[in-house]
Amino acid sequence: MMKVGRFFIKLLILLMVLLSIAGCWNRRELDNLAIVSGLAIDKAEESEKIQLTAQILKPGNLSIAAAGGAGDGGRAERPYWNLTETGNTVFETIRALTHKSNRRLFLPHNEIVIFSEDIAKEGIQKYMDFIIRDHELRRLIYVLVSKGKASEILESKTELEQIPAISISQLIEVRDATSESSAVNLQEFMNRLMSKTTAPIASLIEVVGKEKTALLMGTAVFKKDKLAGFLGREETRGLQWVIGEVKSGIIVVDCPNGKGKASLEIIRANSKITPEIKDDTLHIKVEINEEGNLGEEMCSVDLSKPEVWMSIERRKAVVIRKEVMAALKKAQEWNTDIFGFGDAVHRKYPKLWKYIESQWDDFFPSLEVTVIVKAKLRRSGMITKPAKPE
Amino acid sequence: MKLEGGKISSSHLTFLIVGFILGSSLILSPGMAAKHDAWLAVLVGLGEGLVFTLIYLTLAMRFPGKTLVQYNDIIFGPYLGKVISLGYLWFFFHLGSLVLRNFGDFLTSMIYPETPIAVFIILTTLVCASAVRNGIEVITRCSLILVVFTVFSVLGTIILLAQDMKFTNLLPVLDLPLKEFIKASHSAATFPFGETVVFLMVIAFLDNVKQAKISTLTALIVAGLLLVLSLLRNTAVLGVTEGIHVYPSYQVIRLIKIAKILTRLEIIVAVNLLTMGFLKISVCYYATVLGLAQLLNLRSYLPLVFPVGVLMVSLSILQFDSVIENIFFAFEIYPYYSLPFEVGFPLLSLIIAIIRGIPKQEEEKGNRKQDSVDNI
Repeated sequence: MMKVGRFFIKLLILLMVLLSIAGCWNRRELDNLAIVSGLAIDKAEESEKIQLTAQILKPGNLSIAAAGGAGDGGRAERPYWNLTETGNTVFETIRALTHKSNRRLFLPHNEIVIFSEDIAKEGIQKYMDFIIRDHELRRLIYVLVSKGKASEILESKTELEQIPAISISQLIEVRDATSESSAVNLQEFMNRLMSKTTAPIASLIEVVGKEKTALLMGTAVFKKDKLAGFLGREETRGLQWVIGEVKSGIIVVDCPNGKGKASLEIIRANSKITPEIKDDTLHIKVEINEEGNLGEEMCSVDLSKPEVWMSIERRKAVVIRKEVMAALKKAQEWNTDIFGFGDAVHRKYPKLWKYIESQWDDFFPSLEVTVIVKAKLRRSGMITKPAKPE
Repeated sequence: MKLEGGKISSSHLTFLIVGFILGSSLILSPGMAAKHDAWLAVLVGLGEGLVFTLIYLTLAMRFPGKTLVQYNDIIFGPYLGKVISLGYLWFFFHLGSLVLRNFGDFLTSMIYPETPIAVFIILTTLVCASAVRNGIEVITRCSLILVVFTVFSVLGTIILLAQDMKFTNLLPVLDLPLKEFIKASHSAATFPFGETVVFLMVIAFLDNVKQAKISTLTALIVAGLLLVLSLLRNTAVLGVTEGIHVYPSYQVIRLIKIAKILTRLEIIVAVNLLTMGFLKISVCYYATVLGLAQLLNLRSYLPLVFPVGVLMVSLSILQFDSVIENIFFAFEIYPYYSLPFEVGFPLLSLIIAIIRGIPKQEEEKGNRKQDSVDNI
């Protein structure tokens, strides 16, 4: 009898454990979440305050918009909801959004954070703190700076994707096709922000035209945490060459006889930054190795001759060098070490670095940088000669 | 009288020690004060830890089949010996409560922000209490399964993160003043390597005492190298930002993103902490309970399991008000606080034992005294 009783007590305890073990203390069901896909931070009209916009998914309308677009022909409701609120701090403002939203904001699926140009000019480190401290937000979200208001970016019109924030995050991922804009995630941004000399960068985005399409325009460059200027698309690729982030892209060169253009596809590229001390002065040597294929030619000469082929290679190297020099000129003008030369010196000459660390800002604008480009043209595609009568 | 009937084999001991060392150190990365040289600091700390361990082993080999509490009585005499044993027991007890606290802090700050810390601490202690009641043999056999999983998860995450690693983050090597580096490496020697002093309570149950040396040292080296690998991984991926994180290993795993499918794997780290923490807490808990029973000449240590567990839970909840206090204690105070227990007393015991020529002398005096010690 005793044994049976004990057995049942044990069974009861086990059942109770079984019931409670699967649940959390504070469960949050899917239908109670407001899933945030993008955040935009603007300056509020009142001084010292920020205006924060969160893009919240409306999963119900997602399927309606997809099906209804072709069906009833009527204007389907947008599958997202942009909520705006002003406040003193980021966290305060995010929580304040629940005055309008009946669901608490859920951040782990956030993909991008956009800072407006004017808030970036005043420094964004203080607004970054929540984003890196909170356990819900991830380090793989992209950091962007917008020309104009950041909240407008989240209103931009998208065609293939229904959610602007997700579309923008994919825009950044597809930047590998041109390497003409920067892809900077929070981890990379933090690393640059915490470096004593390397300047942070972020993707630059702008809404253009009547259609309000969001476009990646290049790179926003920071001095410490304050916006210093913008690099255009070519200068951005110049930067990407040096930091080894060029994945692919098209380089257009003039044909050897001067008439017409040829486009060369970048297949792979890498770079090496070597600081050198010559005659008691510090030099930086940047070596860039690039390999690519001939993708298109509009030339009137036959490119399939070795000497012509090599002259195109040389022209390509000149273009790459030009891009790098353009980026370098801007960087030295703004005194922003976006390439990480300072960290390279630190790694190679740790003893010397202790003396020049505090004066790096005086060194950098006049730093002599040698750019050595080795560009190779490997293959010619499906054909060797253009399709025209010989 | 035998308080513990179980026997463990030397290869199992290796697993248990690996699990013990990785306990909370996989999460609270030791040697962080050395910034990007943390891995080097831990490597040097491992060397220092090996010296500590040699002291413990030499001591243990002189008294085969006896635990620390038993030979403290022989070395220091019955009165002073008991005082010193009590000091050790406090250290084991406190160490267990510290690990419990780390455990609770991690879960409440990273995964369950709104759950009270007591929930995790009490539940973990219950599991450990059950393990302790079942004896050292059961704890050791648990380690066999759990450690294998942890080793694979550490190596697996290194492979998954290979594409994010920048080895330039590790340069320049030894970039901080020697004094700070030594401080960091000493801190790594006391946590986690020196904590193996707890095993002076466990080595007695080895079925082949002669192999204690080789299995302990192997365990220390394996665990140390795993730790160094995980630190190299953290620094190579996180770079300068490593220093501002409370739990760098957790942050590193959050960065894994392979083809948008293999992401959000951070729960692996939580499981590592859960399993290795269980082993570490259980060993500390077991050492406290067994030592106390031997100190008080009890017939069984089972009645002590519950009260000690309650005290451990209370201490771990009450000792720190915030995670900042915990980190401050772990990195600033603990390296000195643990020194007497990890080096001072063991070294003193060994020196006295050598000078007095025990236990050899003890045997010459005849078995009468020996028996009386055993029979109390």
